[in-house]
Amino acid sequence: MGGKLRRRAVITGAAGMLALPGKAPAAVGAKPLSGVTLNVSCWNAPYPQFLKKYIPEFEQETGARVVYTTPAFPIYNQRMDIALATHSDAYDVINVTFIYIGRWVGAGWMTPLDPFIANPKLTPADWNPKDFLPGIEAAFRDSKGELCAVPWIADIMMSGASRYDLIHGAGLTMPDTFDEMHKMLAAVSHKDGLPGFVVENHYGWTFLGYLQGFGANVFRAPPHDLMPVLDSPEAVQAAEFFATIMRDYGPRGALSYTYDQVTAALKAAKVIYSTENEAFVTQMAQKGAPAAPTCGFSLFPKGPAGRFPQIATHGWGIPAGSRKKDAAWQFIAWAMSEKLLLRMFREQGWSSVTRRSIIDLPEFHAKLNYNGFDVAKIYLETLNLADKGYMAYRTVPAYPQIDRQINIALQSVISGEKKAAQAMKDAQHNSLEALRRAGVKL
Amino acid sequence: MSAGAGWARAQRRAFLLGLAPALIVLAAVTVGPAAYLVATSLTPLTPVRPGSGLDFSHPLGNYIQALFQSSFPHSVLLQAELSLLTVGMQTLAGVGLALLLDVESRWMEVLRTGFLVPMVLPPIVVAIIWKVLTTPDVSPAYSLLAWFGLRPGSLVTNPVTALPLIAFADTWEWFPFTMLMVLAALQMQPREQLEAARIDGANSRQMFWHVRLPFIRPALTVAVLFRLIDSIKAFPLIYVLTDGGPGRATEVTNYYAFVQTFNFAYWGYGSAIATMMVAGVFVLSLAIGRLGFGRDEDA
Repeated sequence: MGGKLRRRAVITGAAGMLALPGKAPAAVGAKPLSGVTLNVSCWNAPYPQFLKKYIPEFEQETGARVVYTTPAFPIYNQRMDIALATHSDAYDVINVTFIYIGRWVGAGWMTPLDPFIANPKLTPADWNPKDFLPGIEAAFRDSKGELCAVPWIADIMMSGASRYDLIHGAGLTMPDTFDEMHKMLAAVSHKDGLPGFVVENHYGWTFLGYLQGFGANVFRAPPHDLMPVLDSPEAVQAAEFFATIMRDYGPRGALSYTYDQVTAALKAAKVIYSTENEAFVTQMAQKGAPAAPTCGFSLFPKGPAGRFPQIATHGWGIPAGSRKKDAAWQFIAWAMSEKLLLRMFREQGWSSVTRRSIIDLPEFHAKLNYNGFDVAKIYLETLNLADKGYMAYRTVPAYPQIDRQINIALQSVISGEKKAAQAMKDAQHNSLEALRRAGVKL
Repeated sequence: MSAGAGWARAQRRAFLLGLAPALIVLAAVTVGPAAYLVATSLTPLTPVRPGSGLDFSHPLGNYIQALFQSSFPHSVLLQAELSLLTVGMQTLAGVGLALLLDVESRWMEVLRTGFLVPMVLPPIVVAIIWKVLTTPDVSPAYSLLAWFGLRPGSLVTNPVTALPLIAFADTWEWFPFTMLMVLAALQMQPREQLEAARIDGANSRQMFWHVRLPFIRPALTVAVLFRLIDSIKAFPLIYVLTDGGPGRATEVTNYYAFVQTFNFAYWGYGSAIATMMVAGVFVLSLAIGRLGFGRDEDA
């Protein structure tokens, strides 16, 4: 009874609330979501931290109370995996993590959002769902083609240097190939006591651009042929190259660097160069960051087989077990409205946006020009590269298992415990076993 | 006679009736979940496949997979190494400090309390302390060494030192437990025994081996058993410091089960690992009891 009343109140208030998306809704009379508590969770990244600052506006205008949690990436994924698997109603809005799309969406654990988008009572006409980058949005569609999450990030991998002055001083530019990168690192590393290179220790993500750049891949022809090919000569060559630059030019304890440590080291100009997510490396250019006056950017370097910058996306979705789906959708509609994203871009510098209308703005290009480096151009060029389809390996439901095997293999090579050939052979053997166990027909 | 037997039977029945509520509660909270764990271990339960929790078609599938899969036996070997290191170091540190602190003095009381601090810290806080201490960029220990011109590598990312480091951090946290148990036993020892040994001309080493150690042996056995069981449950330090790495260098059985269960959602397989761990601990405890280390020779 009470639940029905609350639901009605939610729908009644929706029109007023959605009249001003981005600026929290101007409600007339009673607040539309009074008495509703929404449990919202995302892994800890720059965007959810930026969004946190606007949530009080949503609460004030709608009357909803938002319990907002942002645990670390692995903790978040484990927590959500269990919550979704048990159809728990503990969360109303969650981040759908890229590598879990196959599992969470494929198993029907997420609520299709198309009915909410199509409902004019819940979604204003100017919300414009077609504005989202289609290639990115496609990752969140289930087998029936229904959208199960709204992407909040199109995160691309690119190169960033905190001390471009050192690179320039050595008579070099931002490297465009693996060879140039190696030469550059040899020239500038450990000058001024600074290590040359570091990436986060999630090698199932940060190594893949190198793996594919050398002409190797995780699976033979994903998503249809999932035979792992991690022990190919190209894969071994990629592992050797990657381990060499990590070992020779990385900081002490490079293997333990998480993404927040990498971001902090880059911002503080304590490591010279990295190939990392755009959302992390562009923080070097933030006002007040020690690296801001000396940072430089470029496309992810290309290898003998070409350029394969990794592209990830994460999106807001509603768990199938949530009992407040209407209110949850209103939070997503507000968080992903063009106006709020534009405010986040203008006020917080959030630039990994998924709405084409913002990317096309002249001010987007102007603002993403740091020390003469056109990051907006890098962003768009990288997104265009994604059309080649080389990211298909990542949404395979069993990828989390393979991701761990790649992590273990790369750690073994970087730490010197194993030779690249042996480590990749072990990764291949264990991946085959993991896939068979997951019921994948090889 | 028969009246007496009838009374004894009635008494037994009364005792059983009185115990029944407690036994029922005990069964519900311990035996029930344990039975469920064993039952689950006989299925390929995973939340991704509906109905897998009721699939008993290959009841030993998880066990066969574990025993013939390279990662599980490897994790057992690592577990044995970690347990041996932690229990060994904690026993030595605990006994040594207990002997030093077995002196009647107000200052010693303060010192004893100070030694207890690591044990009362939440395990995750201990893990964070060691994370800071072992991260070269922020560690005061590394800064101090740098001041002397030394630049050692990171211990947590070196496959040779990662496991001993975990054992050392665990020892730092838990040696006070052994110390407390041994100290309590030492303080129970009649002073006449020590005096008699001294009068007989026993030196310090003889005092320890022939007078003190036999007396504290039962308490020490209990402490070792507790620490052994706890070492098999090692988790927060590995989770925060190494995540089972580098490679698989610190992926002990408990952590292996965690990864299989929570990262890959193989709940049935994780249950099989947990069942084998419980069985292992049970056999180990029984073996230690049978070896007779816990028996009080004076009794």
